[in-house]
Parts: sequence; structure tokens; C-alpha cells
Amino acid sequence: MSSTIIQALNSGFVTSIQIFGITLLFSLPLGLLLAVISRSRWAPFRFLMRGQGEDAPRWRKVLAAFRPVKFIVDVVVWVIRGTPLVLQLLVIYYGPGLIFDQNIWGSGYQGRYIAVLAAFVINYTCYFSVIYRGGIESVPVGQREAGEVLGMTKRQIFFKVTLLQMIKRILPPMSNEIITLVKDTSLARVIAVGEIIKAGENFLRQGIITPLFFTGVYFLVFVGILTLFFGYLERRLNYFK
Amino acid sequence: MKKRTLALLGLVAALAISLAGCTDKAPQDTETPDPTGSTPVAESDIAYIQSKGTLVVGVTDYPPLDYQDESGEWVGFDADMCRAVAEALGVECEFVSINWNNKLMELEGKSIDVIWNGMTLTDEVANGSSPTIGYLSNGQVLVLKAENAAKFEAGELALADFTPAVEAGSSGEKAAAAAGLSCVPVEAQVDALMEVAAGTSDSCVIDTLLANVSTGEGTDYADLVIAADLEVEMDVAACRKGSDLTEFINEQMVTLYENGTTLQLAEQYGIADMVVKPE
Repeated sequence: MSSTIIQALNSGFVTSIQIFGITLLFSLPLGLLLAVISRSRWAPFRFLMRGQGEDAPRWRKVLAAFRPVKFIVDVVVWVIRGTPLVLQLLVIYYGPGLIFDQNIWGSGYQGRYIAVLAAFVINYTCYFSVIYRGGIESVPVGQREAGEVLGMTKRQIFFKVTLLQMIKRILPPMSNEIITLVKDTSLARVIAVGEIIKAGENFLRQGIITPLFFTGVYFLVFVGILTLFFGYLERRLNYFK
Repeated sequence: MKKRTLALLGLVAALAISLAGCTDKAPQDTETPDPTGSTPVAESDIAYIQSKGTLVVGVTDYPPLDYQDESGEWVGFDADMCRAVAEALGVECEFVSINWNNKLMELEGKSIDVIWNGMTLTDEVANGSSPTIGYLSNGQVLVLKAENAAKFEAGELALADFTPAVEAGSSGEKAAAAAGLSCVPVEAQVDALMEVAAGTSDSCVIDTLLANVSTGEGTDYADLVIAADLEVEMDVAACRKGSDLTEFINEQMVTLYENGTTLQLAEQYGIADMVVKPE
């Protein structure tokens, strides 16, 4: 394969890795934040049940149990997980210009790149938040209670007791999702961001097919490195047993 | 506890009111002309483009019409024509590589101002944009594997024996349908070519230009050949629906043809036989 092809694929792959890295950088902490928020038990109408017995009217029970913050997070996660990422990319990039006649992304390449990052961060934040929530809930209640008995504050319990145990538990599902992200970066080409698959496809117009299929090697190698890394992390966290 | 609940309820109410305020203000925003934002196309697309100072051109990598040279600069027959038009408009050309499937969305959403990329005039283009007059003739050709082409030449296979792969909505699909063939619609012309190479389709109908560039020696499609010309189509550029830029480009195309620039560029890029008199 000629050096121009390798060069084009390399520069496409750099873009893929950038999308991958920046998405993780933002969505890993944001996902945790969303997971904590989604566990909010805030029920502003709880007072409706105050002094009411089991025979209280149904609307009072429903309203009193209503948790608006959890509800909003649930709806957002439902929408983002419930629609294809391709569609989200199109809506985020073309939506403002098509619907409101205000193209907020400008005309250059930079706008496309930022739009891709926005879509990926939103999408992966939602997926990660669910994994985090599962992790938090899988830590036995006894652990938290023990913290309380020891007089730790809620914050201390979360960071010193729950968090690390949670990280150990969520590592396998996280590695799944992160490896999916590596391959999802190829969707960026839908709004013409030059990631590696697009770099390969560009050669089709000159009648050259091999670069497109050769991109698979890049993905395999990168995912291989990630797999080794996660294996190492899992071994490191084994002492928690 | 009760106090906190009330405070939070108050906060929600305040938020709701401020949101309502936002929606009240929105219509005024659209009425005041915004130099950086959008002016309605109905007013003047040219004025909008001149106020930004750049004509944003949606292109794909499509030699010899639009492609990047070693320094990353977009060149090619279409790119150079477009620069000449931008010069007459008094603005700079900014080339943006787009996803060809979304070209009309790009145009309507104002991320580009014009599509100029050897685009044949299809119903999709005619309905979804304001196309210019034709400036290149671009035929549709039937591409076959060499062994089938030999049989086709010898009369062992007829045109009606083929079920070509075509880009959905392309002139190739139209040409194949006009020839009475049933087609396999795929996403892009390059996919149609790959179908033939892989043997998943017996033939494909694509642009002459693309067929010339992507088959034969030095490509991975060395065993594919152009077996028949089906139909001649016009290549056009396209602006937003209702744009006054279309008329301007039309006038420029005529001027560039008459002063010889068009033919000179076409010779430079080796497509002189495709140039047509714009009218």
C-alpha cells in the first residue's frame, strides 16, 4: 500500500482516537454525575401524604411519590438510548439550521467536529450513567450502614466506601461500552468528519478498495490494546474480594 | 423540611417564568437583522454571502472536478470554476468536504451555500434545491466485468439480461429504468461498483466520469470495463431554494464559457470533451 494511503488512514485514525479520548474525558465524569442525580429521592409533594393513612385517595399517593429529578433524567436517558446515534448526529448538526434557521455550528470543519463531540458525549453519558447506577446499587447496603455507624458523612461514605467497590464491579460492562465507542467513532463521517472509515472510503472514488478494508487492522490493534489494559485493571482491583 | 420544599417550589416557579420570558423574546430576535446569523433566503442570498465574505462550497473528493493537492488546497475543474464565480462575487471560496447523502440538508441548514461537485440534475436536486444551468455533459454508463463485457460485445448477452446496481435516486437509476432494466438500489455509486467487483451484482450504471477514473489500470477494478453508454445527463451546481445566487452563477457560467476560461480549465483537467455550452 502506498505511503499516501497510509498517511491518509493515519490522519483519519488520529481523528477517531481524538473523538474517542475527548468523549471519554467528558462522559465518564458526567455519567457519574447523572447517575448520582438519577438516584435523587426528592419528592416535593411528599407532604400530601402527611397524616394520611393507607386509604388516602389515589392521586395523593401518586403525586406524593412523584420524583421530578429522577423523572427528567429517566426521560432524557430514554430518548438518548432509544434513538440511533446516527440520527442524533444529524439532529444535532443539521437541526438548528433546518428547524430554527440558525446554523449554530458555522460553516467550517471545526463546527462539525464539535457537533460530533457534543453528540457522542451526550450519548455516552447516558449509557455510562446507567452502568454507574448499577454499580452503586450493587454495593451492599450494609457497607453504607457501616459507614453511618462509624459516623461518616454521606459524602465520605460515597467517596471512601461505595466508589472504589463500584469501580471494580462496573469494569467489565464499562470495557464493553468503551470498546463499542471505539467503533462508534466511525459514525462521525455521517456529518463529514474525516475519521478513518471516511479516509478509507475516499479511495473508492479512485477505484481503490483495499484501504477501506485495511482500516479494520487499526481498529483491531487499538481494541487489542484496550483489552489488555482492562485486563490489567481488573487484576489490579482483585484485592477487593 | 416544609420551608425547603416551599423554597424549591419557588425556584421552579421562577425558572418557569424566566423560560416563558425567553419564549416571549424569541420572535423579536428573528425580526431584527443579524449580520452574523441568517437573512431569509427570500431577501437576498447574495447579500448574505457577501456579508460573511465567504462562499461555502460543499464538495467531495472527486478528481478531476474537486480534489485536494499535496498542500491540502482544493483544486479541480469545479473548484477552479467556483473560485472564478466567487471572485466575481467579491468573496473568498471556502471548500467543505460533505457527506454526499446529506447535500441538500447541508444547503438548507446553511452549513454550505452551494453544491458544486459534478452533480447530475436529478429529481431530488431539482425539487430540493435551485439548480444552475448545466455546464458539463455527464453520461451514464453500464459497467461490467471484462468476461461479461466480451459476451455482451459478442451478442451472447443482451442489455435486458442485466440487473445493475445503482445509487438510489441517481441519474444512473433513472437511466437504467429508462432502458427497461430492474435495478438494485445501493447507497452510493462507489458501492454499486463494488457490487460488480464482488460479483453480488452483474453490472452497475454510474457516471461516465467516475467510471473512467475508478476502473481500469492502476485501480482495484482493473477487470471492470465500460460496456455501453446509456444516457447523457447534465452536471449542475445548486443553491438554496429561491436563492438569487443561482441566476448570478448562470450569468457567470455563460461569461466564463464565452471568454474561453471554461474550455481552458477543462483542457487543463483533461475533460474538454465533456464541456457543453451553458444555456
